[in-house]
Amino acid sequence: MNRTDRPIANPIVVLREEFDDWAVLFNPDTAAAVGINPVGVAIWKRMDGKRSLKEIVLEIKTSFEDAPEAALEEITAFVDKLAEHGYVGYELKDDTDHRTI
Amino acid sequence: MKDKTEPVISMLMRTPRTVDIEITARCNLRCRYCYFFNNPAVVYRDLPADEWLKFFDELESLGVMNVTMAGGEPFIRDDLPALLEGLVRNRMRFSLLSNGALIDDEIAAFIASTRRCEYVQVSVDGSCAQTHDSCRGKGSFDRAIRGIRTLQRHRVNAAVRVTIHRNNVNDLENIAHLLLEELDLPGFSTNSAGYLGTCRLNAADVLLNRQERQVAMATLLRLTQKYNGRISASAGPLSEGRMWRRMQEAWAQGAPAFPNGGRLTACGCPSSKIAVRADGAIVPCNMLAHMELGRINQDRLLEVWQHSSALNQLRRRHTTPLTEFEFCAGCSYTPYCTGNCPGLAYTLTGKVDHPSPDACLRRFLEEGGTIV
Repeated sequence: MNRTDRPIANPIVVLREEFDDWAVLFNPDTAAAVGINPVGVAIWKRMDGKRSLKEIVLEIKTSFEDAPEAALEEITAFVDKLAEHGYVGYELKDDTDHRTI
Repeated sequence: MKDKTEPVISMLMRTPRTVDIEITARCNLRCRYCYFFNNPAVVYRDLPADEWLKFFDELESLGVMNVTMAGGEPFIRDDLPALLEGLVRNRMRFSLLSNGALIDDEIAAFIASTRRCEYVQVSVDGSCAQTHDSCRGKGSFDRAIRGIRTLQRHRVNAAVRVTIHRNNVNDLENIAHLLLEELDLPGFSTNSAGYLGTCRLNAADVLLNRQERQVAMATLLRLTQKYNGRISASAGPLSEGRMWRRMQEAWAQGAPAFPNGGRLTACGCPSSKIAVRADGAIVPCNMLAHMELGRINQDRLLEVWQHSSALNQLRRRHTTPLTEFEFCAGCSYTPYCTGNCPGLAYTLTGKVDHPSPDACLRRFLEEGGTIV
């Protein structure tokens, strides 16, 4: 099984959105929580295991006029950090050769 | 983009982060200072599990993070495991407030298996049966300690609350020794019996008088140094002792008003949490159980949270200057005072929007009290 480039939000993690469009990601299994800004919220909602990271970046660039040039790098770093702490995983693809000899 | 339903309260969370639920109106004990029973505004009736489970689904949709289950005694419910499973299924963590008597290996193992328990808080009011049982009933001390040891054996975080009253105020040193040295708890919290519920009927025998309050403050301030901060309080003598000391120092130095001083800023709970009574009535707090805001599974909690006029009025309490109250007239400490608990203000004065006379530094000093 190999990792795809399609991130997927950990379904156990709760997204708590606040009035200022910021939000908290809360993992009830570990009690860990992290605050994310409105762009982070938009990324989180797109991590469905179907979109690739590049597709997510393109959508974010379309949605947010002030998206920086280095959006891909910044969003990749953001998603990597979430993955490191268990908030995000990646879809796996089955590369096994199932043929029998 | 701002939500079109944005309320006027600027620091308000969009939904409650924590919900305090009185999961049952039944209890195996009848403690002499219980805040819960003998409240004429409360209907003492339990809801069936399916009503609670439906409500937990709603809490999940609002992103509620924590539920605290109290009562009554939550462990008296045979269906407690099913209720806790409902919380786990809906991605929440939970805490339980208990007298400890009904905690056995089976339920402790179950709680541990959920991996979602913040803590189970057990009430311990004495270092021995004589002190503890004086207000809680014969046999309750042994069962509380057994409950704590059961939780510890199953690696469930056991917390302890000590409620200070006339019969245990001289036992605090021994209580700290029992909890922190013999039971090896990381810490414990303290409060004192308050003029609520059953306590109102037994106030003369239970509530601390001025001298006892001073003893409690001095002892707890000394013990918290001895035990390096392992004793905590958000109300009661230890909290008052710290706060009143800060207020008196600020006044003596002519310091500017505290950032939260001079207005009814206590408490901030209604901006992050809400409560539900055992009969399903939504209330701002268990200490304000008479303020019915709605009913679970009939009224949407989000609607109550964001648009209840009574709740929003309570949230605006913090804009009321203490100088508006005759009770505070001429008081030098108002720039440093928060008015304290609205629940106690209500039971003592009949008004929620009033400072609590119970936590008045000036009154304490006028009665002969001193700050150590």
